[in-house]
Amino acid sequence: MRYDPPLHRTQGLVPLIIAFLLLVAYPLVFEGTYFRHVMILAFVFAIVATSWDFSLGFGGLFNFAHVALFAVGIYTYAILAKTLGVSPWLSILAGGGTAALVALLIAIPVLRLDGIYVILVTIAFSQLIYLVVISWSSVTGGTSGMVTLPTLSIGDYRLSKDGRIGYYFVGLGLLAANLGFLYLLSRSRLGRATVALKDNKYYAIARGISEARTRALTLMASAVFTGIAGAFYGAYLRVASPDAFGLGFLTLLLSILLVGGTGTIWGPVIAAFAVSVLSEWLSGFGAWQNIVIAVAIILVVVFYPGGLWAALQELREAADAVRTSTMARLRRRERPAREALTGASERMIQTRHGQIAVADTGARDKPAILFLHGNSACKEAFYKQFRTLSDTHRVIAFDLPGHGVSDNGDPEKTYNIAAYSEIAEAVLADSGVTRPIVFGWSLGGYVALELAARENVQVRALAIAGTPPLNLVPEDFGRGYNPDSHLVLAGKQYFSRREARNFANSATAPISEESAFLHRNLWRTDGRARTYMFSKIGVINWPRQMRMLAEGRIPFAILNGHDDPFLNHAYIARLKYGSIWRGAPQDIPEGRHAPFFNRPDEFNLAFYAFLSSCGCVGGEVVALNQVAGAPS
Amino acid sequence: MDPITLLSVIKGGIVLGALYALMATGLSLVWTTLGIFNFAHGAFIALGAYVAWQFSSADAWGTPMLLAIAVTCAVMFAVGALIHFLLVKPFERRADIVLISVITTLAGSAIIENSLLLIWGPRSKQIEPLASGEVDFGALHLATSEVLLLALVLAILLGIGVFLRYSRPGRSMRAVAQNREAAQLLGLDVPKLFAIAFGLSAVTAGLAGIFVGTIRFMNPAMGNEPLMKALIVVIFGGVARFSSPIYAAFIIGLLEAFASYAVGLYWAPAVLFFTMIVVLLIKPEGLFGKYQRTL
Repeated sequence: MRYDPPLHRTQGLVPLIIAFLLLVAYPLVFEGTYFRHVMILAFVFAIVATSWDFSLGFGGLFNFAHVALFAVGIYTYAILAKTLGVSPWLSILAGGGTAALVALLIAIPVLRLDGIYVILVTIAFSQLIYLVVISWSSVTGGTSGMVTLPTLSIGDYRLSKDGRIGYYFVGLGLLAANLGFLYLLSRSRLGRATVALKDNKYYAIARGISEARTRALTLMASAVFTGIAGAFYGAYLRVASPDAFGLGFLTLLLSILLVGGTGTIWGPVIAAFAVSVLSEWLSGFGAWQNIVIAVAIILVVVFYPGGLWAALQELREAADAVRTSTMARLRRRERPAREALTGASERMIQTRHGQIAVADTGARDKPAILFLHGNSACKEAFYKQFRTLSDTHRVIAFDLPGHGVSDNGDPEKTYNIAAYSEIAEAVLADSGVTRPIVFGWSLGGYVALELAARENVQVRALAIAGTPPLNLVPEDFGRGYNPDSHLVLAGKQYFSRREARNFANSATAPISEESAFLHRNLWRTDGRARTYMFSKIGVINWPRQMRMLAEGRIPFAILNGHDDPFLNHAYIARLKYGSIWRGAPQDIPEGRHAPFFNRPDEFNLAFYAFLSSCGCVGGEVVALNQVAGAPS
Repeated sequence: MDPITLLSVIKGGIVLGALYALMATGLSLVWTTLGIFNFAHGAFIALGAYVAWQFSSADAWGTPMLLAIAVTCAVMFAVGALIHFLLVKPFERRADIVLISVITTLAGSAIIENSLLLIWGPRSKQIEPLASGEVDFGALHLATSEVLLLALVLAILLGIGVFLRYSRPGRSMRAVAQNREAAQLLGLDVPKLFAIAFGLSAVTAGLAGIFVGTIRFMNPAMGNEPLMKALIVVIFGGVARFSSPIYAAFIIGLLEAFASYAVGLYWAPAVLFFTMIVVLLIKPEGLFGKYQRTL
């Protein structure tokens, strides 16, 4: 269930357009021919590296003959444009065609092999092409290659005029076309099949993906723009030399790919510019140039295995973590406002997972209810329950780490449901509560189930809302939830404005004066809490929760919103419950994902009735209509 | 083809085969134990040749040849172990070790080659032949150096074979190649054995470099072509046993000699690569291979 929105929604479009415009503007502002030359080479390398990434990074096919495909493009151009006198522009297109055909030939042995053998056979294949090129000297010029290839021109205007500005723009245009092609390809049926084969080959085949066809098409698709780039390179330098097959060129391109980061489109583009500039800058140092580049490659591979792209993502994540934790710290000062809202007093407690903010009405003689909030919300989401239930109960709620005014946690250790239930235990211990009633909403619902299933705390009664209990992850996600909803956003690290609005509207309540504070929480929530919650989903013993529900020793209620956009009610009704209040999951009429918030009266009535049914109402008996706040 | 030509073609094939066997053995030693392909093997060949030249050549230090060979072996063992600790070991636990080690060993190869260029310059050099004169076997004239090369290579291979089969570290190495986890559980020092395997592989590369240096002119990139041949041999023969790349090397050597005779020097390598691809298509684990990596 990977959320993969189009570029314009991931906020990547604006930086991309800015970068493109800067590249367009650059030659119009600066005259320097030499740096333009470096940029043109960078465009070519970027095309070859990103295309290679499609088969290597996305498809997991270690095609080391990719550089030979580039050379095939060069020689196609040389032979067609020079020897046969075909129009240079047509020859460039033909370069893509022949490269794709050669890729199909390479695919034949590759389809039968796996792992290191693919590397070896493709290296052998590129050597074979190389040997054919140098042996067939009557056509290819042998070891000395071919020189004075025809240049490109539009009408009478030769692209090399005005300081190669024409080549610059053709190169930039090819790069843009290549990136567009790869972007659409990676989101197409073929692209997804390619990734599926890499991620889990046998599962993908079982789901009906043809391995042979997909791999052959993957190789061909990655060859097209490689061949075109090769032909363009030949037209630009006017030389076709067998050096293009050499280990040096292979090392250069492989370093661009690995330094940029495999499996991403944009990483190799950035690396192509970085490596080209670095390599040109060092070109005056002779043998030292290659040594420095080789050392740089090793350092990047050791310290940044994901490449520059991963480094950029880490930077962004670190900046975002600083932003959210600062926000939490600043919001701690608004404590009086929060206390006024809930009527409970707030305190910070120290846990293994950082400081946690707890709201507690503190009446030790009444039965205690612990409220657990959902993804990207906060403890004040329950303020209506604080107000109503505090007459008869002690109400406790806390902000999960990374949420509300609690600290951000260590993502590896803290942002998972097991750690959340550990924190809930710590909060209960700190409050001196031994037999709590627990209500969990959404993500908090899983925390509640886990808390009860762990049995470190004896839960007196348990209720959940907006939480389909799971047995088998991730399969049960598809069954328990409605995949068309904004729920897919629940695991997304960074929200755009629109995504934040959409998610909060569905998860809590449409924005209004009353719910504004819930919407404000989205900007404070640590994005890593959302992603790690999913990536650490395996740390939970889900069947144990299910067994606990089936045994039914704890009084249990499900109080879902009838109009919850996320849930598949039929799935929840089908599960086996040992004891469930009123025999089935209860729907709050017109309630949404947070029924206690948008239908508080109905919810409180039902919740109170559940509490009464299991003897969890202490002190004096309160009339139900008084609880609901309905006029008598 | 008259008998004399045939015999000389076969002789050329066997000499080539001996060289390939030495290089391929080193390559497969690392492949089977560590499960990676060492692209710096070609650079090791060049490094060995240059070190031996530095010691033995009359233009340089001019020490006796035997001492030069011994020093070269020691240097190569150290370099091999060093390369292992710097370029392979840090990535041991990574899932994409195969790809990572390709790039790091390629980078290592670039570093070694360019260092050779910086230290010894681009001028071609040659190591003094190990012996001069000719030996006659009936109608067949063999250069003494060729006979010596053949004998030395066979002796070295035999030595490695005995080492792997009978010595304790050799047997441990085979155990690690067969099942790394089980070997570790039995208390074998796997990192040390890996370093030994890498060092030993570098020693064979260095020795091959010395032999190549006596036959051809040396330059920093001299190892690339032998590396490709060794790659063909290893794929062609598979690595099921220590001996399989050796048989394969002689087959490939003979094939190359006959192909050179039949289609000319330029097309012969193409024939070899084509043969290799065909073998891979029919039997991906190699001619003598079983589908697993063992030594």
